[in-house]
Amino acid sequence: MGLPTPLYDLKDFPDVYEPSEDSHLFLDALEADQESILARSPKLACEIGSGSGILITGLAQLLKNSCAYFSTDINFSACRATAKTALINNSYVESVAMDLLGMFRSPFDVILFNPPYVVTESDEIMGRGLDRAYAGGCGGREIIDKFLATLPSMLSENGVCYLLLLKENNVEDIKEKIRGLGLKGRMVLERKIPGEHLFVFKYFR
Amino acid sequence: MKLLTHNMLTSKCIRGVSVGYPLIINATEVKVNQTLFNSEFVSKLIPKVDWPVLYNAAESIGHSEDLPKEAPNDFEQNEEFLKKAHRALVEIEVISGNLVCPESGRKFPISNGIPNMLLNEDEF
Repeated sequence: MGLPTPLYDLKDFPDVYEPSEDSHLFLDALEADQESILARSPKLACEIGSGSGILITGLAQLLKNSCAYFSTDINFSACRATAKTALINNSYVESVAMDLLGMFRSPFDVILFNPPYVVTESDEIMGRGLDRAYAGGCGGREIIDKFLATLPSMLSENGVCYLLLLKENNVEDIKEKIRGLGLKGRMVLERKIPGEHLFVFKYFR
Repeated sequence: MKLLTHNMLTSKCIRGVSVGYPLIINATEVKVNQTLFNSEFVSKLIPKVDWPVLYNAAESIGHSEDLPKEAPNDFEQNEEFLKKAHRALVEIEVISGNLVCPESGRKFPISNGIPNMLLNEDEF
């Protein structure tokens, strides 16, 4: 069973990140790993920084109504876009505006994050608009590192997190960091596109 | 916002707030949307839910109906209970209103069914 790219319509949401090669790599990674996800029989799944919402909607198409789907974004337009994308694809995602997972009290069984990974100046991480969809600050790592620090407390016992990374994010250093957090990691897919070498990793206990 | 989501949200990361749970719901618009019932899914969800918080949330917006105050011990086999739980968790939706932090009184507006839980930098 393949995972079709979910339909989306961003014409009412000009300040939301349009799905691109990174998004498609992420969908391909979920498809490649679907048996492993299904085997964990997740009940609560959340995408962070969901933007258009095609990743969490793609997951919802994979797992159907055996799981509840959530999304967060710091851009309220993106929260609305995600809810709309889910509906267009006959899925349902509970969208909440927040930073990372900071306002949830309980862990998730699946966490998806296509983070702002582009290497930028730190002061480009400002506001809540479209720039925030890609601006990753120093090494492209500022948001990624902030997220990873919270991951052990937000990942359920049998949970799995999928994270997209850029080569310049220093994948080896992130591997060390993951070990330090007491988690295991594995690369699911990698792809070279013009100007970017991208990876999707998964982390679990 | 479904009541399952309400069950999972906290305002504890606000500076000076110690528990921030459960958030108070002030609803101005509530809808009930029928969704496909999956008994296995609901029964696996029950252990993850704070049931008294769910009951009180449903009651506070006038939708407790025949929801039991406590989850029965045999909930896994109790289809009738699981259907009521399904309705409360994923069919009742708050479309607009506010969530309110029980300690600080900070309001989080809900619009288009989406709670806005964004904090300003000086709040945490």
